[in-house]
Amino acid sequence: MADSPLGRPVNRVDGRRKVTGTAAYAADQHPDRMVHGHLLVSDVGHGTIRSMDTAAARSAPGVLAVFTPFEPLALAAGAGQNWVPLQDTLVRYHGQVIGIVVADTFEQARDAAALVRTDYDETPPAASFAAGIPTATVPTGGWEPPVVDILADGVTSIDEALAASPVVVSGNYSQPSKHHNAMEPHATVADWRDGGLVVHGGTQAPAGHARSIAAALRLDPAQVRVLSPYVGGGFGNKATTWADAVVTAAAARAVGRPVKTVLTRPQTFTVTGHRSAVAQAIALGADHDGTLIALKHDAWSSLSGSGSVFESAPGTTSRMLYRTANLHVGQKVVTLDVPPSTFMRAPGEESGSFALECAMDELATALRMDPVALRLKNYATVLPGRNVPWSSKHLDECYRVGASRFGWARRRATPSAVAEGDWWVGMGMATAVYPANRFPTSVRVRLLADGTAAVSTASADLGTGMWTVLAQLGADRLGIAMDRVRPELGDSALPANFGAFGSASTAGVAPALRDAAAAAVRSLTEIAVSDERSVLHGADPAGVEYRAGALHAGGRSVTFGALLTATGHPAVEATASGGPGGPPAEYAFHSFGAHFCEVRVNRWTAELRLSRITTVVDAGTIVNPKTARNQIEGGMLFGVGQALFEGAQVEPNGRIANANLADYLIPVNADVPPMDVHFLDHPDTVFNPAGVRGVGEIGTVGVAAAIANAVFNATGRRVRDLPITVEKLL
Amino acid sequence: MTGQADGDGVSRRDLLGRTAVAAAGAASATVVPGAALAAGRPAAGAAAAAGAAGSEATIEVAMTVNRRPERIRVDPRVTLLDALRDRLALTGTKKGCDQGQCGACTVHVDGERVLSCLTLVGTVQHRSVTTVEGLADGDTLHPVQQAFVDCDGLQCGFCTPGQVMSAVALLREGHTRSDGEIREYMSGNLCRCGAYNNIVQAIRSVRPGPRSR
Ligand code: FES
Ligand code: FES
Repeated sequence: MADSPLGRPVNRVDGRRKVTGTAAYAADQHPDRMVHGHLLVSDVGHGTIRSMDTAAARSAPGVLAVFTPFEPLALAAGAGQNWVPLQDTLVRYHGQVIGIVVADTFEQARDAAALVRTDYDETPPAASFAAGIPTATVPTGGWEPPVVDILADGVTSIDEALAASPVVVSGNYSQPSKHHNAMEPHATVADWRDGGLVVHGGTQAPAGHARSIAAALRLDPAQVRVLSPYVGGGFGNKATTWADAVVTAAAARAVGRPVKTVLTRPQTFTVTGHRSAVAQAIALGADHDGTLIALKHDAWSSLSGSGSVFESAPGTTSRMLYRTANLHVGQKVVTLDVPPSTFMRAPGEESGSFALECAMDELATALRMDPVALRLKNYATVLPGRNVPWSSKHLDECYRVGASRFGWARRRATPSAVAEGDWWVGMGMATAVYPANRFPTSVRVRLLADGTAAVSTASADLGTGMWTVLAQLGADRLGIAMDRVRPELGDSALPANFGAFGSASTAGVAPALRDAAAAAVRSLTEIAVSDERSVLHGADPAGVEYRAGALHAGGRSVTFGALLTATGHPAVEATASGGPGGPPAEYAFHSFGAHFCEVRVNRWTAELRLSRITTVVDAGTIVNPKTARNQIEGGMLFGVGQALFEGAQVEPNGRIANANLADYLIPVNADVPPMDVHFLDHPDTVFNPAGVRGVGEIGTVGVAAAIANAVFNATGRRVRDLPITVEKLL
Repeated sequence: MTGQADGDGVSRRDLLGRTAVAAAGAASATVVPGAALAAGRPAAGAAAAAGAAGSEATIEVAMTVNRRPERIRVDPRVTLLDALRDRLALTGTKKGCDQGQCGACTVHVDGERVLSCLTLVGTVQHRSVTTVEGLADGDTLHPVQQAFVDCDGLQCGFCTPGQVMSAVALLREGHTRSDGEIREYMSGNLCRCGAYNNIVQAIRSVRPGPRSR
């Protein structure tokens, strides 16, 4: 029997294709007769388009067509925003799609696009987040209730509870809007053939992308097939369909040729989504022994007038992380004339944990208490307000294991107490929390006569390791070697899958795959006992056992490949589906973690360097520690970017001044410290029988707070406005 | 900027063409002059000569790509990156920014790493280009490629061709003496997925000398 690869650090099955350049991403497709699209985007922040002079572009060499609101493409809603591209002359924000040029070559399309002259009637955009805070509104349609108050008996308001607390800390926290900047710019190759549309497009949700495109083009969903076997990073920004995809598909229909459109890097900042800017006010009230009496956390998040997603900061963090007698969380939104806001890795937890976990550090300082001890003192064992336990929670172990691996005991509570040469050395820690999600997922398991198996679902692998995880799970359930399992994903025609987001993929796939494998084995058994050509013909099905790729009964056995060959079946297959996991009325479902980090700040120049980070993660069973560790480190890198580098600079006219990779800073190799990532690996079998949760996002949560807390410990400076740049430390 | 003629009668297109001609000329390219440059539109013959490239002028570039001689006739505006991807069907090299800011397009020209998005193809006349497709020896991966697989020096894989090409060059440059040096000299290759530590580990595992930092 093949040893199960489950839980082993096996190499990525797609690794070879990725290091040799043979993995073909969307923009690598080049169907016959393909031509190139180049988007036109608005260069004012708000107003209406008076005219567009496209004559020069149209007569430029190689140009096939120019589409604008004046010569529109037929499109309906479906592209992830609340407006439809090219159907009106309204400019909602700077960098909005207002047209597309189609030409024989990329160079011709790009240069012809530069010949289009657009005149506008400009009106001033509401682009300033800070200016909009006084008129912020309570959101509708978020996925967390915007306001929650849980007060002790006899307490009438959170402010009353704070006023009665012996020790109170409070602070205002802020961070700018941020952009995903996956290394692969969004790309679409739209190819109409046989009355249908094939779209090559890097997406986190092939089936959802196909549905959105079908809606926008008024097609039957069955007519659209999205292929997305390789996705060059997503982080939430390839979970929905943006204007570029539907405009490209419609242009391909209009010109009668396959069209490829790849966003320029600056276009990715405005044609696709970003993370809200967030301002937060937090106050903690505690007894002298550290017991929390009151936790008040309010947030204001930017929301695009075009898009519906905003950072739900307190609702995803303070709402459940600590035990407190009195709790208030409140969320408001500031609606702006800016590009669409959308999900970005840990949407809500990323910002919320920054405020909450810094505030806990401030409270620990005020109480002269160890930050880990303060957290353990207020450890929640039931979800506040609902009094249900977690399906599996080992956060206390995360703290203890992390503290010991990191050497937390060496931390000095007094800021600037430790120096090495010209560098102050500081230590900080913070908690990570992220919901355990599980979306409707179908998986097909197919056993073939050649002794191999295929495991299929319409998910995507954005670097998450899903190709490998599918092969591992398939090999484990079927008891065969991994190289005999062929994973299939990245195709909307495969069994239904919500897509790769919410850190939910493995938890969705694993139980459905188990059921599908069991059902396929039942069909196999049926053939084995009923077909005269089978060596197990006539055996009692109840006595037939499947083990290690073969059926066994009464001392005889036959491999599935041999059985299918002997009985003339090319294959046997089964599909199984699963939905949200675990009984929600009885449990809460989250993953947890703890970060411990050390920073060095130069006492003369204030240069800030991360020197090391230890992270302990409680995310259920880990299917592949090698790819999972990489995911956690990648998540942590988003936290490092949040803490030290990232932020859009939005000018008063709505233009993003730093919409490129030289001015919008993301961490580079030299910014990254050694990372010690440790998994607790406690199966969460209440959540699903495979015991898995997810690892895509939790790594991000809390990193910025751990860094900010370490900076305080190093320097005595409490920086509450991200990113922590040098001038804030001088 | 528009395509209309400026005051001195030189259109942007004309200028671009001449610039490219000059650049290519320095690298002794064969230039096919567009018959109707001044008119801002190609004559029928020029357009036909341009073929799929379809500009007023095209240049012919001879180069060696992954040890194979190649000769292409292209629009002078074409970068080495787009020539590889669109004309030679070598799509392993990636376009992450087209602005020299990410390193995804890193290839070797005469053994040195260059950003192919900032390199007009006309400038590599008679030179030798190596892309990620040219590293492996048949089925045997280059040691750096194998190390990236073994150390999981990638996630989505989009930055990977550029990382691998940079890493191969780095070893040749001798900038692998410490982790700090590896990190510094790999910092032109962005990886948004954050596989940096594994990339460093991969390079460390194949460098000459100590395997640890
Ligand atoms: S594509 Fe060349 S550096 Fe980004
Ligand atoms: S592996 Fe995705 S950007 Fe590096």
